[in-house]
Amino acid sequence: MENSRVSRDNFGVESGSRFSYHRSKSLGFQTTQGTAQQLWNGEFGFSGNDRRFAFSRQSSFHQSAEPHTPISIISNDSIRPLLSRSDSSINIPQGSYPQLENENIWKGTEKSYFREADGSSENFSFLLFVFSAFQIIRSGSRPMKRLLMMIWLNVAYSTAELCIGLFTGRVGLVSDAFHLTFGCGLLTFSLFAMAASRKKPDGVYTYGYKRLEVLSAFTNALFLLFLSFSLAVEALHAFIQDESEHKHYLIVSAVTNLLVNLLGVWFFRNYARINLVYRNAEDMNYHSVCLHVLADSIRSAGLILASWFLTLGVKNAEVLCLGLVSVTVFMLVIPLFRTTGGILLQMAPPNIPSSALSKCHRQITALEGVNEVSEARFWELVPGHVVGSLSLQVKKGEDDHPILVYVYGLYHDLGVQDLTVQTDYW
Amino acid sequence: MFFSSNLLVLKHMEVQICEQKEHGQIIEISGDFAVDGPRRKNDVCGGAACGFSDAGTRAKDAKERHASMRKLFLTVALCIIFMSIEVAGGIKANSLAILTDAAHLLSDVASFTISLFSLWASGWVATPRQTYGFFRVEIIGALVSIQLIWLLAGILVYEAVIRIIHGTGEVHGFVMFVVAGFGLLVNVVMALLLGHHHHGHGHGHVEHDHGQGNSSHGDHDHGHGHHGVNVMTHHQHHNLNQSEAKHEKKSQLKQNISVQGAYLHVLGDSIQSIGVMIAGAVIWYRPKWKKIDLICTLIFSVIVLSTTIKMLRNILEILMESTPREIDTTILQEGLCRMEEVVAIHELHVWAITVGKILLACHVKTKPDADADVVLEKVIDYIRREHNITHVTIQIEK
Repeated sequence: MENSRVSRDNFGVESGSRFSYHRSKSLGFQTTQGTAQQLWNGEFGFSGNDRRFAFSRQSSFHQSAEPHTPISIISNDSIRPLLSRSDSSINIPQGSYPQLENENIWKGTEKSYFREADGSSENFSFLLFVFSAFQIIRSGSRPMKRLLMMIWLNVAYSTAELCIGLFTGRVGLVSDAFHLTFGCGLLTFSLFAMAASRKKPDGVYTYGYKRLEVLSAFTNALFLLFLSFSLAVEALHAFIQDESEHKHYLIVSAVTNLLVNLLGVWFFRNYARINLVYRNAEDMNYHSVCLHVLADSIRSAGLILASWFLTLGVKNAEVLCLGLVSVTVFMLVIPLFRTTGGILLQMAPPNIPSSALSKCHRQITALEGVNEVSEARFWELVPGHVVGSLSLQVKKGEDDHPILVYVYGLYHDLGVQDLTVQTDYW
Repeated sequence: MFFSSNLLVLKHMEVQICEQKEHGQIIEISGDFAVDGPRRKNDVCGGAACGFSDAGTRAKDAKERHASMRKLFLTVALCIIFMSIEVAGGIKANSLAILTDAAHLLSDVASFTISLFSLWASGWVATPRQTYGFFRVEIIGALVSIQLIWLLAGILVYEAVIRIIHGTGEVHGFVMFVVAGFGLLVNVVMALLLGHHHHGHGHGHVEHDHGQGNSSHGDHDHGHGHHGVNVMTHHQHHNLNQSEAKHEKKSQLKQNISVQGAYLHVLGDSIQSIGVMIAGAVIWYRPKWKKIDLICTLIFSVIVLSTTIKMLRNILEILMESTPREIDTTILQEGLCRMEEVVAIHELHVWAITVGKILLACHVKTKPDADADVVLEKVIDYIRREHNITHVTIQIEK
């Protein structure tokens, strides 16, 4: 096992420039977040050149999910990690959050409403939360700033459309403005999730706030599904009705819409793929935002195409174009929907094949001190952070420490960072 | 099965129950048994493929699920019937308003179907890819349902605005009133069907929630006579009644979340119908005030959205794997630390799969000379008794 570990390390160091990883200081386990990912990647067929990863040239791409230490909620004066793990007999590599100046903002606001868990102060703390989220956005990372700029653009554009539509009485403009507003609301939620997910875990949210990003990705995907359904309904509507009642789409608004959304796609061009391998939570969020703007731009393009076909005199141009757009958006969004749904449903991590899990199972049962392994459950908190729990039945009198070390080592190689093992003695 | 879990509790010589220090009593259980039967883990989780349920809770789960499914089925059937009536009437009268309302009912049917599907799916047996079972499907289904409500509210506002702009001039206040009244009637009937069943199922819920805990306590009292053990039972009873009352109150609020989602949908619809009725009445009375339509729609849409906030918050908390509201981790940690062999607790995580099913995982650091077995059982027992969490995974570290 030593040799293979060394060779894997070499592999990790080679393509190390592609990933940014964080070397953690620990006694027993010389492995890191990045290389842990690469270890199983190498084993199961992904190479460093795999285009399914989203690479960013920006240096702000450091935020990978790392094992965190829960913060003590009993201490009164300072926030210190709950009995640091160097005291424990199992030395699990300790990660630490990248030190951002944002954390001070979070700590300050956290102290002010630290102990409030009851419902009466809910509104107050929620407002504080939102306010501090905006403070962070101002000092946020590049994708966040770009998203903010996009949202402002969209808001300005949709308000302009709404006003013009109301004054001139053009229904098409108003409906477009509504659609844009819905989209804006969703993008704002994505932005909020990006900012809020940096908060450290506390007493109530013991796993931290990273799940918010997955949630926002899910909401975006859901909205896109609704969009595709509504486009299909519109196509059906146009099919049933006769020619005279067709709406003639306003070219100018469609073109502006297309341009604004294409700008958004350009901002998030690293994520303009349908099937993406997610390395951490932000990947998912950015991917969903990119798909959102992409779908919007496809829709505008479809409308422009439909108007052009109408002028050409093609029959049922609308139905064709709208149907095409609806199907495209649907196909675009389904993989994201399934992945986010899988994470929210606490499905076994998709990047760890069941053969690997059963192999680990067999290896543990093959140990001489172990009778049985039961209740092996693994789920992903966010992409890249796998949590697991396991129950072992060990022969009476057996020292469980080497067994535990072995088990931890096995699963750590697979990429499971948080593991809780219960040993029962028979 | 209850008998052997009974054995578990009484197995050790002297169990000091610290929580009862407030009552100034120390309960000593002295007894002597050989335990050679199946162990606690298998009792609680009933064998090899524990998909989060055993025979006992799964039967109760299934019963509750069937009851909820039956209700939703009836509601969907009713909805479809009403919708076809409205469509027929709308085509005959050639009125767009009625057809729009029928489309609204169609979206209701869609939402109920989602709830029904998620209810049915939550009963599927756990698979190796889905190790906790499919209970989360309920939550996701409820989330989608609520998103649908929001989407519909948005569409209604949009249509109200369009109506103002189009200004075709003829807004039949009377027709609006009648159609909305019919819609309200339908929604009220469905709401009664789905309704909050506080009193009827109150005890059923208590049993469902307690599962093992309750019945094993019940047999606890029998067991004492059998094994010649001295226990002061009435203090146990007192504690049990307290926690039972607490849980009963809480379980009354815990209607199945899919049914809750459907109920919210129906409630939202009836609120909207009331708004449209008011607007229709006003326009019928004073045909000049057309803008009241938009204002009413806006106000009532906001009201509908505010009813969904509470459920949305619950759903979000579960999906974020946060500690459920009924558990206070500070008390739990303090209670555990008060045990004498326990030095520290870390990596404590408490989270819910779905409403009512709570899991716990933590690392417990003990003194080097402590017996890991004993500490494990004490900790598990404490957590199960005090906080009613049955599915725990504890890692004992020295």
